[in-house]
Amino acid sequence: MKATMVIARRELRSYFNSPLAYVFIASLLLITAIFFYFLGGFYAMNRASMRSYFALFPAVLAVLVPALTMRLWAEERRQGSYELLITLPFTEAELAIGKHLAAWAVIATALAATLPVPLMVGALGRLDWGVVAAEYLGALLLGSAYAAVGQYLSSLTRNQMSAFMAGAAALLALGLVYQLAAWLDLPPWLAGIVNWLSLGYRFISFSRGVIDSRDLAYFALVSAAALYLTAKRLYFSAWS
Amino acid sequence: MIEVSGLSKSYGGFEAVKEVSFTVGDGRVIGLLGPNGAGKTTIMKVLTGYHRPSAGRAVVGGVDVAKDPLAVKRLVGYLPEGVPLYGDMTVTEYLSFIAEARGLTPGARAPAAAKAMEACGLGGMGPVLIEHLSKGYRQRVGLAQAILHDPPVLILDEPTTGLDPNQILEIRSLIRSLGGDKTVILSTHIMQEVEALCSEVLILNEGRIAAQGSARELSEAMQGGELIKAVILARGGGAAGGEPGAGAAATALGWADAEARPLGDGRSELSYRATAGRGDEEAERLFDWAAGSGAKLLELRRERISLEEIFVRLTSEEHTK
Repeated sequence: MKATMVIARRELRSYFNSPLAYVFIASLLLITAIFFYFLGGFYAMNRASMRSYFALFPAVLAVLVPALTMRLWAEERRQGSYELLITLPFTEAELAIGKHLAAWAVIATALAATLPVPLMVGALGRLDWGVVAAEYLGALLLGSAYAAVGQYLSSLTRNQMSAFMAGAAALLALGLVYQLAAWLDLPPWLAGIVNWLSLGYRFISFSRGVIDSRDLAYFALVSAAALYLTAKRLYFSAWS
Repeated sequence: MIEVSGLSKSYGGFEAVKEVSFTVGDGRVIGLLGPNGAGKTTIMKVLTGYHRPSAGRAVVGGVDVAKDPLAVKRLVGYLPEGVPLYGDMTVTEYLSFIAEARGLTPGARAPAAAKAMEACGLGGMGPVLIEHLSKGYRQRVGLAQAILHDPPVLILDEPTTGLDPNQILEIRSLIRSLGGDKTVILSTHIMQEVEALCSEVLILNEGRIAAQGSARELSEAMQGGELIKAVILARGGGAAGGEPGAGAAATALGWADAEARPLGDGRSELSYRATAGRGDEEAERLFDWAAGSGAKLLELRRERISLEEIFVRLTSEEHTK
């Protein structure tokens, strides 16, 4: 645990020492605000709800989170610091979890920075704060799952750009595949499978204010599985 | 401290190290010498727990690298080739990260970092970003992080590459001061470095050990032992059959394969390869001959075969086979 925090702190410092964390936070605020106010028809809706705001998150985070995670391993490998890091007395799990916590903390900071949005909406009309809390919880969990998948893809390459593109593609697919079910009018059994797999679909139920333990478990499982694969990847690269 | 037996390591289909065995005693400084691609770095990567062996065993401080890499990583301080550090940290930040990573207690971190910085001549560089450091200073930071937790084993991959002559001397004297207390393995392709630092040399070629021993043992083992060179002055006055120069000396002493070369003005040069262990005796005979024949020795010197020569011979012979 202590070792994990050593990694997390170093990684976090490196996020905030570079423009990356700030660019990430600013981009998330800007993109979601633009879509929410101008394109999403917030004022036309004439109702105090954050639902259309949070509905943007599966897509927006799918593009932004890989920008955050692409460097986690690709950069270490490219500049060679990977070798020094691996020969320090950390277990593979400590490395993967430490880096995950750092990326997740940046995402959480960015989410915290969006708080003025619901506060403003709340000032304009009656907002159900319980639902808002559930939506934030959902966004945090979605962020964790995305970050873990992004980190795994970063561990597969020494090229940040390919880590980013693979990450964005994978997360857009994972996040938005449930919309395919609606568009293509898939048979119910297939739609069920697709929805079950889609992180975005799970996220929707949070924005209804429903916290389902199965959804919690699913996000936790995806995060854990991706981190496990990352740790395995680190382990096996010693044997290659 | 370090035992390697039958170690092989292949990447994909390429066998970088083939059945290498050697041991390094406590407090010894051993040099890995070899052309690029000979397997030096691979051996080091196995000993640091970065790579697992494909076959054979590597044991560091009684711990099998393949079985408990984490324990080995604790015992070893490692300076990888090229010194890959985090450029976005200052020297102090970086070393305190290393101190934390090495599990030093909060109270011990700052003193350990300060001590390592002092030993590596990094005074005053604490607040500087690593990416702004010159190559020499980066190398020192790399060394400082390797010795920070006072490890019993130091593994240094080309510790002086890219440094200027003054820096090289400083780093060498630092490494020398660490030996005795620590077991050090260093790789290099600079011969003087090995002669200056290492109690033992391992010459590698194409993944195998081509020779091992102390620099002296190697040169004695490599046939020829010593080269005796003399410049002889014999002006004018020889008895019948010419001057008592180099040629006459060779004949008189029975040095059949000696080379004699006139240098003009009555001087001539003689060079003779004495068999190992007979250098003293042959040189004495030459002196006595000169005294007896009235020739004058302007110069008499003896050369051990340099490590460089051994290296070239070992590593190029293999290629032509």
